[in-house]
Amino acid sequence: MRDNSSMNLYLYQLKSLILKEYKEAFRDKRALLVALMMALLAPVAIVLMSKIMIEKLVDEPPVYVNFNGAEYAPKLIKYFADNNLLNLVDAPVDEKLIWQQRNIVMDIPQDYETDMAQGKPIKLYLRADFTDKAVGPPVRRINNAVRSYSLSIGYKRLLLRGVDVRLLNPLTLVEQDTAKPDATFILISMMLGIYLMLAAFMSGLSVAIDSSAGERERNVLEMLLCQPVSTLQIVLAKLIGASTISIIGVVLVLVLTSLSVGLVDLTKIGATFTLDIMTSLTLLLLLLPICFFASACQLFVAFQTKSFKEAQSTVSILIGIPAFIPFVVSMMDDRPQWLNWLPVAGQSMIIENIFKGVDVNWLAFLATSVVTIAITVTLVVVLAKKLRSEKVVMALS
Amino acid sequence: MILPWKIIKLLVWVLFTVTLSLKFVAVSFASTVLTLENCHLGEIRAQVKCGKLDVPENYSKPNGTKISINFAVLPAIDNSEYKTPLMFLAGGPGQAAVELATALNRVFREVRKTRDIILVDQRGTGESSALACDLEAIDNVYSALSDALTPEEIKDCVAQFKGDVTQYNSENAIRDFDVIRAALGHEKINIYGGSYGTRAGLVFMRMFPESLDSVILDSVGPIEVPIGMFGQSGARSFNLLIENCKKSESCHKAFPDLAQEFQTVKARLGKEPITLDILHPRLGTPTQLVLDDSKFTGNLRFQLYGMRGRSMVPLVIHQAFLGNYQPLIGLMAQNEGEQMVYTGLLFNIVCNEDMPRLSAADKAIDANNDFDGKNSHQAWDMVCPYFPEFRPNEAFYQSVTADIPTLILSGDLDPVTPPSNGEFSAKSLPNSHHIIVENASHTVALTTCANEIVNEFLTSKLPKKLDESCLKDIPQETFMTSVNGVQ
Repeated sequence: MRDNSSMNLYLYQLKSLILKEYKEAFRDKRALLVALMMALLAPVAIVLMSKIMIEKLVDEPPVYVNFNGAEYAPKLIKYFADNNLLNLVDAPVDEKLIWQQRNIVMDIPQDYETDMAQGKPIKLYLRADFTDKAVGPPVRRINNAVRSYSLSIGYKRLLLRGVDVRLLNPLTLVEQDTAKPDATFILISMMLGIYLMLAAFMSGLSVAIDSSAGERERNVLEMLLCQPVSTLQIVLAKLIGASTISIIGVVLVLVLTSLSVGLVDLTKIGATFTLDIMTSLTLLLLLLPICFFASACQLFVAFQTKSFKEAQSTVSILIGIPAFIPFVVSMMDDRPQWLNWLPVAGQSMIIENIFKGVDVNWLAFLATSVVTIAITVTLVVVLAKKLRSEKVVMALS
Repeated sequence: MILPWKIIKLLVWVLFTVTLSLKFVAVSFASTVLTLENCHLGEIRAQVKCGKLDVPENYSKPNGTKISINFAVLPAIDNSEYKTPLMFLAGGPGQAAVELATALNRVFREVRKTRDIILVDQRGTGESSALACDLEAIDNVYSALSDALTPEEIKDCVAQFKGDVTQYNSENAIRDFDVIRAALGHEKINIYGGSYGTRAGLVFMRMFPESLDSVILDSVGPIEVPIGMFGQSGARSFNLLIENCKKSESCHKAFPDLAQEFQTVKARLGKEPITLDILHPRLGTPTQLVLDDSKFTGNLRFQLYGMRGRSMVPLVIHQAFLGNYQPLIGLMAQNEGEQMVYTGLLFNIVCNEDMPRLSAADKAIDANNDFDGKNSHQAWDMVCPYFPEFRPNEAFYQSVTADIPTLILSGDLDPVTPPSNGEFSAKSLPNSHHIIVENASHTVALTTCANEIVNEFLTSKLPKKLDESCLKDIPQETFMTSVNGVQ
């Protein structure tokens, strides 16, 4: 009976402490919004980046070339036009100036037609400032067009001489991609993976610093410690307060991204990206321990520092972890087994697999979650112990 | 941890996929025989899905012999909004749809963005118990004449077929297609039929109209017109080519007497086949070219199917007139040694479903043309007597009148399925629209921008309200005028 009532008291106190932390965290709406800004910007960044990438990959905007001697090779000019390589004289007014400045010139020799009929090699001259970055892609396209047009004529010449034109392709390399058919656009999944990690680490950051180093400087911490509550309760309350904000950040990234990827036509590049409810829930479940882990790390470090300022700069370095570790992991070709167990590294590998469409390895999921939670618990317990010492509370050393 | 998660997953699955669960039932019903796994197909870079399904060889004996039907699914790139898939019905008869995956993946890339594309090897082709035999591999296309086949060879070939060949007919093929539709869990599908695939499509419309959302018939072989009589249609296509050459300034200048030159060469070769010592176009070793008039016109006929081939025909004729057969040899070399159709199935279907309906008078009318006379009948006359006999019932020959949105496409220059064929179907199908593409030949959606119209039609299902403007941009046919290139 007594055990039960003391337990109730313990929980009641914890609840009051958590409410206090929530009040603190949610009081300054603007600060909170800024803290969640990262999460809000993620989908915007993802959509913008994808749109730019897709445009680069598939769009072939018109290129205007200053042809000298277009009249000697009407069929070549027609072939160019079919590939959106057009004559400068036909450029619309608003684009004419730009292309006149780029000044890509092609000279077609006067005896093109007779040389073609007689089977003599013909030289076309392409003049431009090749160091100009804007000239690069058009030149590449002109090059490809000339090569394929030339080849198609060559093929016909041999065919009409009774040669089996398949002789010209002794080898064909057929690429077979073993990625799952429903594998997603790699850019989006990589960005989303990193954003999720960042959201987990960054959203709760200001709350964690404020409720530790901040409260110490405002002398609120002393007040708290004077109350008849244990230091473990105080740490737990602060942890829950900060990690709640992290979780909100992660949920926001997931929800907003799943809504906004619909705005990009990924099918243009033969890819797709859907963040369905199952995947979102799996990701959220995977990242929950990370949210607590991040807040625990931040609280731990912030309490070790001497001032609010120092806490800010030191904890900011911690943000490097979520950005850096997944990057390193994705660069590694041979991944040692123990990486599976490490917090952040383990999760980011599972996230990568989820986006690749590989079935989730629930054992690895469980393992990395357990390790992450274990480290979090250790941090909390050690921190609670440390808070009993005046050194930490008063920032003496 | 693992088990409850699976239960949650299952619950969520059930909650969010009420509509899909219906399909689940269908799959599990057939799951004892359906396999579907990731695979690589042709030259497609990404993985697609390949499957097999066991079906009765004879549908009136469901517990009798089973045959395995091979199929593939090119999965929709974005399947988030489920759209009914497109099944491709191959031509021939005798083409294996799965073998065409590489090209179809390219042609139907817009369709595939949001729809699965289903390819089924018709029974008797590809990996669906192909009706094939050694006869397919004619060693030397250059020295062999087209009538070199002996009755013994044909009998040997037929003897090699396994199973009850009379079951390898159009109606059973359609039953297979519909079983695969159901097994894949689709309540309805769209079908695209090209060439003979349109005949298959029409049979599909008659037998299982409730399975079809919409139909595209490209280069129609209607029930009303027996397959195999290509004399008149070939001559029409060839004469259009001659007219177009006349209209083209450069072609007319280079070949002012094209029609006359063609008749001269034909008569010359008809009098006596020529034999020339040549270098084998692929091997580079000495061999012989034996050429008679029917081999000459047969190879030209083959060029009439596509715009690229047509562009070379005037030049090939003119050079042959001058005594230079190298251009013709080059044309023959293009597909030498490649198997285009499974000839066993081709003959099995045409000899039994189409040829018996033709009278001697019909054949005489068809043979009365100035292009290749009765040469297009030659193969049937030679082979059909040796093939096992079956006869479809009378219902098979009734005009199809299903009220399904149908888009009909014809190329005006087509040597085998002229626009008049499409008119038969346009008349009998109430919800259809017939588009005749002026500057295109056989199977227009596979060779022109008509595939965009097909894509639009699959979405709107309104055959009469489609944007056909891109067809106007297809250029008039142009011709090569010199052996050194286009100009």
